[in-house]
Amino acid sequence: MTFFGLGQTAELEIILDRPDGKKKLDESSKKDQSLIYYDGETVSGRVNVILKKSSSRLEHQGIKVEFIGQIEMYYDRGNHHEFTSLVKELARPGEMLQNTSYNFEFLNVEKPYETYTGSNVRLRYFLRVTVIRRIYDIVKEMDIIVHTLSSYPDMNNSIKMEVGIEDCLHIEFEYNKCKYHLKDVIVGKIYFLLVRIKIKHMEIAIIKRETTGSGPNTFNENETIAKYEIMDGAPVRGESIPIRVFLAGYDLTPTMRDVNKRFSVRYFLNLVLMDEEDRRYFKQQEITLWRKGEKHLKGMQNRNEPSHLVSGKDGPKGSEAPRTTTQSVQPSGSLDNTDSENDHNHSPMNEGDDEQIRSSIEDSTSE
Amino acid sequence: MTQMEDQEKQLEFALASVQKQGVHMKMCLDKNKLMEALKHASAMLAELRTSLLSPKSYYELFMKVTNELCYLDFYLVEEFERGRKVDDLYQIIQYAGNIVPRLYLLITVGLVYIKTNTNLKRDLLKDLVEMCRGVQHPLRGLFLRHYLLQCSKNVLPDIPDNEETEHPEGTVRDSIDFILMNFAEMNKLWVRMQHQGHSREKERREKEREELKILVGTNLVRLSHLDSITLDKYRKVVLPGILEQIVSCRDAIAQEYLMECIIQVFPDEFHLYTLNVFLKSCCELQPSVNVKTIVILMINRLTIFTFHNSNASEVKLFEVLTEQIANIIQSRDLPLEDTVSLQAAMVGLALKCYPDNLDYVDKSLQTISDTFAKRKIEKISHKNPVSRELMALMKLPIDNYNDLLLVMKLKHFPEIIEYFDYTGRKTIAIYLLQNAVQCRTMIPSVEQTEIVLTMVSPLVKDQPDQPVGEEDPEDFAEEQSLLGRFVHHMKADEPDLQFKILMAEREHFSLGGNKRICYTLPPLVFQAYQLALIYSGKRKEDELWEKKCRKIFQFCHQTILELTKAELAELPLRLFLQGALTISQINFKNYETVAYEFYSQAFTLYEEEISESKCQLAAIILLIGTFEKINCFDEENAEPVRTQCALAASKLLKKPDQCRAVAISSHLFWSAQNNVGQPLQDGKRVMDCLKKCVRITKQCMEVSVQVQLFVELLNYYVYFYERGNNNVSVDILNQLIGQIKKEITGLTANEETEQITKHFENTIAYLQNRIESADTEDSVFKALEGLTL
Repeated sequence: MTFFGLGQTAELEIILDRPDGKKKLDESSKKDQSLIYYDGETVSGRVNVILKKSSSRLEHQGIKVEFIGQIEMYYDRGNHHEFTSLVKELARPGEMLQNTSYNFEFLNVEKPYETYTGSNVRLRYFLRVTVIRRIYDIVKEMDIIVHTLSSYPDMNNSIKMEVGIEDCLHIEFEYNKCKYHLKDVIVGKIYFLLVRIKIKHMEIAIIKRETTGSGPNTFNENETIAKYEIMDGAPVRGESIPIRVFLAGYDLTPTMRDVNKRFSVRYFLNLVLMDEEDRRYFKQQEITLWRKGEKHLKGMQNRNEPSHLVSGKDGPKGSEAPRTTTQSVQPSGSLDNTDSENDHNHSPMNEGDDEQIRSSIEDSTSE
Repeated sequence: MTQMEDQEKQLEFALASVQKQGVHMKMCLDKNKLMEALKHASAMLAELRTSLLSPKSYYELFMKVTNELCYLDFYLVEEFERGRKVDDLYQIIQYAGNIVPRLYLLITVGLVYIKTNTNLKRDLLKDLVEMCRGVQHPLRGLFLRHYLLQCSKNVLPDIPDNEETEHPEGTVRDSIDFILMNFAEMNKLWVRMQHQGHSREKERREKEREELKILVGTNLVRLSHLDSITLDKYRKVVLPGILEQIVSCRDAIAQEYLMECIIQVFPDEFHLYTLNVFLKSCCELQPSVNVKTIVILMINRLTIFTFHNSNASEVKLFEVLTEQIANIIQSRDLPLEDTVSLQAAMVGLALKCYPDNLDYVDKSLQTISDTFAKRKIEKISHKNPVSRELMALMKLPIDNYNDLLLVMKLKHFPEIIEYFDYTGRKTIAIYLLQNAVQCRTMIPSVEQTEIVLTMVSPLVKDQPDQPVGEEDPEDFAEEQSLLGRFVHHMKADEPDLQFKILMAEREHFSLGGNKRICYTLPPLVFQAYQLALIYSGKRKEDELWEKKCRKIFQFCHQTILELTKAELAELPLRLFLQGALTISQINFKNYETVAYEFYSQAFTLYEEEISESKCQLAAIILLIGTFEKINCFDEENAEPVRTQCALAASKLLKKPDQCRAVAISSHLFWSAQNNVGQPLQDGKRVMDCLKKCVRITKQCMEVSVQVQLFVELLNYYVYFYERGNNNVSVDILNQLIGQIKKEITGLTANEETEQITKHFENTIAYLQNRIESADTEDSVFKALEGLTL
């Protein structure tokens, strides 16, 4: 925008280098396509200042480029929290007579968090070029995407739990891991130990819980990312139902805990059984999502061959009976008690959408 | 809206939706928009999630949907074969949120992978059959698994598994595991239907299950089509797998159907070698399962197989079955009729496959006998189902051997007969005799005669348990006639033996009472007469033949007298006459006396016992006719008899009867021979007879009768004239012809007179013919030229 249509003005263009062929994030839903960077990677490129009028010069008080990481709360607009801010000076104050390019480089810049756009909070990284002028500055911002890669978790036990409602429903479920990468597959099974209700179907829901604020101002937003039916009809005692959920198809982010003491994003698997009277019985279980390096992912799998088959080592073991249900039984009456030794839990199941636990734990020896 | 209409409506909606989505899917495929097509396929498959349709309607919907899916299958196979594989397709279709459409797609796509890369076969088949566990709804689950089975039909690995070589595409072992698991799961779903819903809908549920059973059974059919399943594999893996599922499901409908399925679909050779295991499982089935039907089906199959395959004999089939059936009977409280029909199947097996081994059949009979004894059964009513089954069993050896003698070799056969009530025993007796008569079985010994007549005792004599009341006279006559026919089948080659048989028979038949002996004794007498003729033929070989003949006729005499005691007259009369005739043919010592005794007995019967005029006429004609043929009497005996006959003839009540009988008696004086074989040819006495006839005729009141008798007499005259009786003159003939001509015109025309006229005309025509064709040598007719015809 020019003041009275007078004076020189310029357009800014930021062109990022692609040293190791960094991919563009293909997010067709969003207009801009941003580049992906990882923590510690150098962000470098070139700023082009293009003068709009070729005949006149551009006066400025200096040109700078900033690398900024910030967290924006939607309910608190204007108050952005910058957790990273780096500045490079591109030009000292002076005059510009022609289009000029400046190279810049933020060497091995620290990018501690993953880019995130949630329902109440946004975490973004961007480059900002400012041509400082007396009356108004010329500013150009450009977002980049940051992915935080995790290394393979050291501990990744399966989640195995026996849950039930006394004299009514008694199941054992197993998810093969507690930590899944974003392209991972949840493999598991449900084993029915006692069925005295008429079940209509069973599904697994992936729930994302975004927590913002702190103390009394803590705000939770739950979003069901996926609903996945895993059983149709009423099983009888002894049935074992396989679970196989491919995560790659869903819009997921890594689990983020306490990001800069501002927000958290956590994921839960919710196992829901619906009976013929439309009563719901559910059990939620947190899982950790993490991002795996792309290089690792590549070449590991022939994409023309099915993966995670029942017969394969990663596949569900549908027909097997539970290992031993009596082996790790908790004393009856103790609620939601985790047996850390073998991850074999024994806890009640929740009934109804918002209802609290109604029944106490079933001792499986009484079956 | 009725339930039916509602069903139709629901189905209609569903089909319309499938149609629509199917069209969209095809259009997208034609444009190579696979992802879009998959979405439509998924929407189409979502119709199969319905709970509103009956099995029948659901089947219709299923057919429509799977038909549409074929298009997708073709498209993908073609794309894959052209090398245009779609990355992660197997994964992509698993994003479908609902399980039913997802699994249908998984199966469809999985099979495309298998068809285009056989190395994936084993793993994918296992994956598919396991993932299908997610559908626990019986109807939807059954059809989903049916689809899996249908799709995998032509790709199941069928190469023998060899531990030394790896087969990534899988071996027959993988196919077995695959089908067995699918079978077990489908059966569980099918059985589960029984326990869902209200108990008052039990009938409807069972009907629905009946409609769906074929889906479960198809698994077994598929197994039976795997060529690499050897006997060993069947015995060690397949059969135990199937049986375990059948026994453990504890559902009578499933057990009954599936056991029959096993029998039907697998080769008989397998059954032969796994019989023990199969039958042991039968013991473990639910109490309400009709084990009998299953076992019998198996026995019948093996019977036919063993019959056609002689190499099957290395298995001791009969012994194994006997032992196992005993186990089954012991372990299950089988109704008696089932026990019997099991044994009937065993008898069938023994007869067909071991025809020479009578002991097998006898063993089954003994088992039954023992069972009856154990259950303290004395008599079985013919209304009881046990009787029906037992009857069927008893008929088996009869029909198979077609030889009563073989049947009699079964030691326990007569013993079992005794368990039947009167009606049952009589039925068997008739069946035995019919068979013997049809097959011309001969009973050659006294012992066998005794046995047979004991077995058919309900026909021979009254039974203590015989129901009071009249039997159907026609049936009775038929039964007794059968027994009469059978008398001719008790026959030894050796005459002495034969006589003993006859005596034994008479002992039995004598107990039959008046109503029976008239059927049984006459054939016996005839048999005896024949025997006498045989001795007569052997007179040079057997010096005692005369004595034996005499004994035979004594036997006959006695036997016939028994009939007279039963207040019968005509029958013994005839038998006596037949006897006299026979005797006259056999020239043994004193035979004249014996013949005279027989004849005089007959005459006495005529005089004393026959009172009705019609019978009298018939009897006197018989007496005359017989005597005319007997030539053993000397004149001293013969003359009074002739005179008696003629006298008796003239003493008949009715004039026409008198006339005819006297006319016949004329033969006694002409063609009858004396004891040296010369015909009597006493022309004068013949004329006396005929003249007497003319006299009697004239006394007849009715003109037509008169004319009729005259015509008949004319024939007599002509006959004797031709035979050379000089006493017949042209005058006499002319007189008679004139008489007839005079009377015949006065007859009123009717059918009867027409016949008389015709008879007369024919007689005249005959005479004319003879006269005209007579040449000089035939002087007899030449002399007749003076006749006024």
